[in-house]
Amino acid sequence: MHGIALLLAAAAAAYGLARAMDIPPVPLLLAAGVLLAPTGLLPAEFLQDSLILGVSFLLFQGGIELNPARVRGQRGAALRVGLVQFIALAALGLIAAVLLGFDLLSAGYLALALTASSTLVTVRLLQRRRQMFEPFGRVVVGVLLLQDLLVILLIPLMTRLPLGPLAVGQGVLAVGALGILMWISSRWLTPAVLAMDGDEEPLLLVVLAFLFGFMLLAGWLDLPLVVGAFLAGVALSTFPASGVVRSQLASIGDFFTAVFFTALGALIAVPEPGVILEALALAAVVVVATPPLVAFVAERAGLGAKPAIEAGLLLAQTSELSLVVGLYGVAEGQIDGEVFTVIAIVTLITMFLTPTLSHERLAWRLLRLHPVPSRVTQPPPVRDHVLLLGSGSTGMPLLETILTSGQEVAVVDDDPAVIARLGELEIPCVRGEAADLEVLDRVNARSARVISSTIRRPEDNRRLLDYVRGVPVIVRVFDEEDADWIRESGGTPVLYSEAAAERFFQWYDRSGPGSAAPG
Amino acid sequence: MTDLQLIADLGIILTAAALLLLVARPLRVPSIVAYIVAGLVLGPATGVIHATETVELISEVGIALLLFLVGLELSIEKIRAVGKAAVVAGLAQVSASTILGTMLGLVLGLGLMEASFIGLALSFSSTVVVVKLLEREDELGTLHGRLAVGILLVQDIVVAVALTLLAGLGASGEELGPAMVAEGLLRASLGMAALVAIAVIGARWILPRAMDWMGRSLEGLFIWSLTWCFAFILLAELLGLSVEIGAFVAGVSLAQLTYNHELVRRVNPLVDFFLAIFFVSLGVHLDAAAAFRVWPLALALTAFILLTKPVLIAMLVSRFGYGSQPSFLAGLLLGQGSEFSFIMVALGAGVGLVGNDVVALVAVTGLLSIGVSAGLIQARARIFRVLRGAGLLRLLRGLREEGPVGTELAGHIVVVGMNTLGRRLVDGFMERGELVLAVDTDPRKLADLPCPTLLGNTDHPAVLEEAGMARAKLVVSALQIEDANALLTHRASRLGVPVSVHAFDPSLVPELEALGATYLMVSKYDGIRQVAEALGRVGVRA
Repeated sequence: MHGIALLLAAAAAAYGLARAMDIPPVPLLLAAGVLLAPTGLLPAEFLQDSLILGVSFLLFQGGIELNPARVRGQRGAALRVGLVQFIALAALGLIAAVLLGFDLLSAGYLALALTASSTLVTVRLLQRRRQMFEPFGRVVVGVLLLQDLLVILLIPLMTRLPLGPLAVGQGVLAVGALGILMWISSRWLTPAVLAMDGDEEPLLLVVLAFLFGFMLLAGWLDLPLVVGAFLAGVALSTFPASGVVRSQLASIGDFFTAVFFTALGALIAVPEPGVILEALALAAVVVVATPPLVAFVAERAGLGAKPAIEAGLLLAQTSELSLVVGLYGVAEGQIDGEVFTVIAIVTLITMFLTPTLSHERLAWRLLRLHPVPSRVTQPPPVRDHVLLLGSGSTGMPLLETILTSGQEVAVVDDDPAVIARLGELEIPCVRGEAADLEVLDRVNARSARVISSTIRRPEDNRRLLDYVRGVPVIVRVFDEEDADWIRESGGTPVLYSEAAAERFFQWYDRSGPGSAAPG
Repeated sequence: MTDLQLIADLGIILTAAALLLLVARPLRVPSIVAYIVAGLVLGPATGVIHATETVELISEVGIALLLFLVGLELSIEKIRAVGKAAVVAGLAQVSASTILGTMLGLVLGLGLMEASFIGLALSFSSTVVVVKLLEREDELGTLHGRLAVGILLVQDIVVAVALTLLAGLGASGEELGPAMVAEGLLRASLGMAALVAIAVIGARWILPRAMDWMGRSLEGLFIWSLTWCFAFILLAELLGLSVEIGAFVAGVSLAQLTYNHELVRRVNPLVDFFLAIFFVSLGVHLDAAAAFRVWPLALALTAFILLTKPVLIAMLVSRFGYGSQPSFLAGLLLGQGSEFSFIMVALGAGVGLVGNDVVALVAVTGLLSIGVSAGLIQARARIFRVLRGAGLLRLLRGLREEGPVGTELAGHIVVVGMNTLGRRLVDGFMERGELVLAVDTDPRKLADLPCPTLLGNTDHPAVLEEAGMARAKLVVSALQIEDANALLTHRASRLGVPVSVHAFDPSLVPELEALGATYLMVSKYDGIRQVAEALGRVGVRA
């Protein structure tokens, strides 16, 4: 009881601090654990069991999220970005670790630890900034899913590496066998889960029994338990079963996540200066190499320049799975506590840095350094034109009606597909960030007759309004607060939430459930 | 990380529990019975489980969290609504049952200590079983449902005091004497007073502000509440009180907050998980040989519970003017032993006040009575008719029969997500004279709405149930959360309720349509028309 109370109290402090500093709680939970360790109040066996239970739920929930449908149209981009980041970071990590004097096996563990970015930190930031469903948000989510999968599948191979190729081969077979079992069981489990929706207790028990049963199976196949937990989650990853299970498991997951990271923090030894330097060097590799690498590939894969940079900055940290990799290395006796501590510190540092690094200001600054290929098909009108910013595919009908009225138009959009289509129609357009002042300059924004902006972020609209003072600007906004704010800054807000409600009531009055039956 | 023992234990316990639960469901056997039977199968019969320290810790936390949950449900208004009838009937029933039980124990040849222990332990009815049954039958809001819950809450308070006293006695490790009891009582009351004082201070000055500040992060709120619970557990220990009472008081102090329903929903799965392990391991620990020895006694005690409790409660309740039906049903609902019966004798055995035979006796009796009582409750309508036909219910001559049952929503419209769109929708529905229920996870967004509101996350089935989704004529979501909208669409269309959700990005349309959405608000398209109008105002024909 005392142990749990202590872990929870530390976690509560971490959550409070995370709320106050407006950053994701994971690094703070780890830090709270580190501070807790020297008190010596946590028995080793209790910590060990907390870690096992915590990691089970963490990986199970990770597996549940593994649904490619979340990535939607961005699968190709996510695959390319994810693989390149994974391989390049592994290579860079390996080289850096060897240069730092680690033996080859330790360097391998460190390299694997550097390959993945943190789902917990990144998704939270995306949600916070309401970017989950922007194209770049989907790419980032896809990258995270891919990396989680790769790391989990590589852990059993890594732990068998020193035992020779035969053992590795057996590992591959065992993972394959478990995978097949996962696939078979998902076929009966998914309908069973859906049938039990709403009947909470049996649903929970069946799902938990499945989780622990699968872990037990992994144990019997001599695979790491986390592989079992993860695959058990994957078995339930199709919608709507995933949604049903996620809602049922959310609070148990929250509880064990908090306990897990705090307990993990308590395992991190207070490092010596040399260890800190090694960790700093590896953290630098992650933070410096990831953004340009990801931005480069993401842009080639079809993202706009700024979203590509933002994706790069957002992915520049190591993952909670890096810690799991380290734990396994230690448990298997293949790496020593120092290597684990290095992994933990790298994770701590990079997770702490992410909210600051991924701030928009830095993205804008980096965009300045970025050579934007200028592909102006048609010279934009010099003055009195209608300028559409971020038209997107939803803007097409509007564009067509403006054109038929004989009005001159220019368009800025960061979606290459939209730009290609406009190019075919010989409409003057520029591919780029609509809030980028250079881009605005190229389309003669200051001399436009009127500007229509569908830019979503308020700060971007503020930049625009400041820049084109005097030109009427119509801004599409969803929230009432944003509308007030646009009005104050001199723009004309159009509340599309209001439009949606109006349209809804047209439907409702005509054919909604209220209109149908008289009694 | 490679230690399989814990995973193996949990895997086996949970699998057995899940299997027996699935068998028990169609037979309408309460989950507790299924779990204990699972434990009996695993433990004494096969010897597969060797309860590790962590499994025991999980069990302990499970009981604490159950009391935390009971506390969370016990807001001042609920206590007030239950009123005098529940308090008087509850206290009188517990006293009468204890005395009668003790007498029966003495007649059956037990010692005074054992007999009185059994009498008190078996005077409680099962909160978990009854509340879950009522929930499943949708009868929590009925007159008999509220009466039964009220009496259970009174019993819970008595249990809490009894457990505290027991812990106080146990701590001193001396022989029981009148002076001991007096000292124990004094110490318990002082500790209790201190604990309650701290809880009151917390509930009034600390919690509302702190939780409000944290309110935006529901998981943060959850972790803070659990920490509050464990802080009180430690505090209770420090004051020489039981873990359970600490958790209970912590729960009550949180029950007054706006967030308490959300907390209940979040603590619930944790309790289900931990308690399943507790009850299974209870079965595992049951001394099979002892259980075998005590079965005639257990049968006698079971018959005693099944007969005396319903009669006592029905008679007491009817004295407050309730009619024959609610009185009878409340009595029938409460005719079984309690999970606290087990906990109490287990604690008693732990401090050496009673032997293992008594633990086995209470466990077997509790188990039997819960099983039979569940069957009787299922057949309540028939039993009622038969008894009334025989004229046996004439003693219960109150006037207050079942009146209109609360204010259950039906034919209403559920609007989820109080962003600008959600608010417009609420306004539009109100103008059309519809009955609207607004749902959001942020109490601030619900604060100034002109309609009934519900705080909660629609991902939880319990929230949808509370919103009366099955009876709604339309469910609308303005949320800009992909997964939540998809899940809501799936659940609503499965119930055959028309559902309209916000497809905040056109790419979401196909999936939502496939899930059975009746109408989709594709806000970005809808906004285009307004942009065109605005362009028209500056002279651009669009």
